[in-house]
Amino acid sequence: PGRQSGSLRAPNPGKQTLLWLVEVVKPFSLLLFLFLVFHFSQRFTTVVPESCVLIILGLVLGGIVLIANKKQLYQLDPGLFFLFLLPTIVGDAGYFMPARFCLYGAKMAGVIDDNVEAGLMEFLLFGALISAVDPVAVLAVFEEVHVNEMLFIIVFGESLLNDAVTVVLYKVYISFVEVGPGNVLTADYFKGVASFLIVSIGGTLVGLIFAVILAFITRFTKKVRIIEPLFVFLLVYLAYLTAELFSLSAILSMTFCGIGCNKYVEANISQKSRTTVKYTMKTLASIAETIIFIFLGISAVDKSKWAWDTGLVSCTLIFIFVFRAMGVVGQTWILNKFRLIPLEKIDQVVMSYGGLRGAVAFALVVLLDGEQVKAKDYFVATTIVVVFFTVMFQGLTIKPLVKWLKVPRSTNRKPTINEEIHERAFDHILAAVEDIAGLSGYHHWRDKWEQFDKNYLSKLLMRKSVYCKSELWEAYQKINIRDAISVIDQGGNILTSARLSLPSMASRTSFPEVTNVTNYLRENGSGVCLDLQVIDTNPGAKVEEETETHHFLAGNLYKPRRRYQSPYSRHFMTLGDQERQDREVFQRNMRNRLESFKSTHYKRHKKDRSQKKARSHHRLSHLRLLLTPRVKPTKSQLKGELSEPEKDEDVGITFVARKAAETPKERPKSVPAALEVCQSPSVAPPSPTCGEKNLPWKEGIGALPPCVSVEATKIIPIDLQQAWNQSISSLESLASPPVPQEPQHPRVSALHRLSVPPRPPVPPPPSRAKFQFPAWKDEEEEGTLSQQHREMQPLMPSLRPPPPPPPPSSAQSSGKRRNPCVYLRSLVTTPPSGSMPHSRGPTQL
Amino acid sequence: MDQIRNLHKRFKHLSHDEETLRKEDFDEISDLTPNPIRSQIIDAFFDKRNFGGNEVGRVQEIGFREFLTVMSHFRPLRQNLTEEGIERIRREKLRFLFNMHDKDSDGTITLDEYRSVVEELLSSSAAIEIETATAIADAAMLEVASVTVGEMAPGQVYEGITFEHFLEVIKALILKLHTLNIVSVTGSSTTTLHEPSTLMLHS
Repeated sequence: PGRQSGSLRAPNPGKQTLLWLVEVVKPFSLLLFLFLVFHFSQRFTTVVPESCVLIILGLVLGGIVLIANKKQLYQLDPGLFFLFLLPTIVGDAGYFMPARFCLYGAKMAGVIDDNVEAGLMEFLLFGALISAVDPVAVLAVFEEVHVNEMLFIIVFGESLLNDAVTVVLYKVYISFVEVGPGNVLTADYFKGVASFLIVSIGGTLVGLIFAVILAFITRFTKKVRIIEPLFVFLLVYLAYLTAELFSLSAILSMTFCGIGCNKYVEANISQKSRTTVKYTMKTLASIAETIIFIFLGISAVDKSKWAWDTGLVSCTLIFIFVFRAMGVVGQTWILNKFRLIPLEKIDQVVMSYGGLRGAVAFALVVLLDGEQVKAKDYFVATTIVVVFFTVMFQGLTIKPLVKWLKVPRSTNRKPTINEEIHERAFDHILAAVEDIAGLSGYHHWRDKWEQFDKNYLSKLLMRKSVYCKSELWEAYQKINIRDAISVIDQGGNILTSARLSLPSMASRTSFPEVTNVTNYLRENGSGVCLDLQVIDTNPGAKVEEETETHHFLAGNLYKPRRRYQSPYSRHFMTLGDQERQDREVFQRNMRNRLESFKSTHYKRHKKDRSQKKARSHHRLSHLRLLLTPRVKPTKSQLKGELSEPEKDEDVGITFVARKAAETPKERPKSVPAALEVCQSPSVAPPSPTCGEKNLPWKEGIGALPPCVSVEATKIIPIDLQQAWNQSISSLESLASPPVPQEPQHPRVSALHRLSVPPRPPVPPPPSRAKFQFPAWKDEEEEGTLSQQHREMQPLMPSLRPPPPPPPPSSAQSSGKRRNPCVYLRSLVTTPPSGSMPHSRGPTQL
Repeated sequence: MDQIRNLHKRFKHLSHDEETLRKEDFDEISDLTPNPIRSQIIDAFFDKRNFGGNEVGRVQEIGFREFLTVMSHFRPLRQNLTEEGIERIRREKLRFLFNMHDKDSDGTITLDEYRSVVEELLSSSAAIEIETATAIADAAMLEVASVTVGEMAPGQVYEGITFEHFLEVIKALILKLHTLNIVSVTGSSTTTLHEPSTLMLHS
């Protein structure tokens, strides 16, 4: 960082040489190091805003340099400031600004307070620059204070506009001063107003144009991911420079570029690029901020630059306060007439108090031409004092103030799926009611805009694969991924603490509420032992852009399986060694087979590329299988619909083998070893009944071996599952009595003697997917039965290699063919019996 | 009163100067066509539950009085309300929303109903398959169950979202949007519904 700061200084117009550069680099690396230290010491920064610390640092450094050189070497150079430092900060803020609220921010349009002191043109000038609330300072402080989004956006939006106003006023006044007070005509004032409008509107337009260009470019960068972040930075910066070039409001331009392109760019670029952009922006912004504030400190030390005038300073301070407060109160009063949620008194107080003056004002005042503005030195002094006062004093006190006033703070929690759904529903309802009432209000126009966006803009600016997905779907996806990741995180804790089921609570700091799902996952589920290897090594997916997410997860989810092994082995302690070995052998075999399946599947998958629909279906089921978060106790009751068994089952991360749900066989709860499979009630005896024989997919599943990753079945797309089940069924038929040539484990034969239980009555398929829980009677006896059944199973798989997967089409259709009754029964999960506490645990691999 | 007059004009316009409005009249509103959940919204106008009484059921056509009553759900809060009043009105508004999703008026939004809501919401983007919508609805339902019921007994069945649960689930949302007014008929238009519903009914 030190070097960077040095090079940033390079454009300084002074006669600095290499020596200078070296000289600068040293203290700056030191400073930035110090800054980092402060950053890390959280206790300190919770009390003192960073900007204060930085200014103090700057003071100290400036003092040192002054003592050493007798002359101030470093000065905040406005060119540097406007060209390099400001854009990084604003770019960061603009790009990450929550777009939904930007309208509110824009509504706030207005200069809060105007000229501090009137009279001479010089004072007008000074008033213009000192009255501007500085985006940099406000952002720095408000972000740390974590005021709620609303307040932040209002103040930020205001400071953005202030920038435009300030710069314009500044230029206008400068020209006035040049002309001389006597020669200013009334027309010039109008010119000033007009140029203000042009500057802000022009800046906005430039920003939007660049946003469109940027979005359009990123649409075609699929093959060259590396340049994506580069484009984002370059074009946003270009927007800034272009606006600056035409003397338009560069800050506005940049902000709107960020806001405008965010949606499309985010959708277009890859996950990695997204992260890169995010972190680079944040890093650059914080570096720039650091530099600005340090410069401020340094400049303040140099006495030759300013002259003190107590009257002016104190007057300015008082006026700043008074006018700010008046401005806020007056404008919120007007604004509240139009707003849904009136701005409260508290908000107004915070807004007035948050009027921090910062580096912008300082830079402008330093820029003044000493020849024409005689009082420049006084102005500089006053500005420095004002900046110091506002940043130091107000910055320090705003946090306690916010706390004390109980201003609603921003919360970091992400919306739940339900909230997303209802939020969207709200929007639509509002728009509809406005339509019905024949009004054209805010929602009406937003609705119109969304239509337009969907029909034209998105099509133009987004990649095809992206734009068709709705936001709700995205939200759903995000929530799923989040849950998945948090489960992983918790998995890590489990490893270290070696606790079985309750990973440390501390690990989930960021999702306080959502979490309920995650909670469940953690508590009972986190037996994330799915065998993701299968997918992990899948070569075809590298090509598939769409499976990116999936891979991301696959990569991450792989670990827990390992981690959970040790806890889970505890369950199996009771098993004899022999059985354990059998199981392991079996697992290995099955895994091999799965591998072969997988490869065949994916080859086919690749070929299918043209068949978009089929493929997307696969992808979906993949994702769903992997992702759907689920709540343990309810999950089984929730499964409702025949048409999508796979979706219901995949309740995700817990990876309970819902596959079993499709099976007619009994997997009663009383089985040990956590096979969720067992949870699904099965109607049929372990060996296939004749009725079931016609439905190969049906009979197969019953034989689902206990340790075979039930998960595995889940991960594989549904058609593959079918194939796999078929293979299993064939295996099972081999193991069953009619096939004597196979070596039989004693238990197997025992099982077959037992295994002719009567089929329990099948409940009529409910017409609607309502949750029900039919009485289940035969469970107990079948439970014991299937337990034995399961025990014998480890032997079976080694008997035969799996048959090749059937063509997808047939598999698909077989999926649809599922017997409704059977499926519904499976929905009705039998509760695990109390005696088997782990029966609901995750399956073991 | 101004607003009521405006609304009456609108009512006449929609109903082609008839005394009553029918569903077909709503279908003619061209701005409404792209709205994915328009059928739900239109149904809400013909739902007796939203007319203030305790009746349940549907009607075929509504008069201006009913029209106003339904619209009155969307009026902004008056400034001078007490805490209780605000709370009551908020509940009414949310109840309206809930009724909209609870099509069979049985007091719960079942999974089925929830699914159809989500499907309709997503119906505007053709690329989303129904299965996806269902998956989302299921996930959302699970979420509701976990938020409201908490740890369920193994055999327990989550019947559907009751009104209380509904309140709980979107509690955060209400706070987030600061939207006590589910609908703000505001902004640039002068036609806002400021009058209390009683006034409207008398008009």
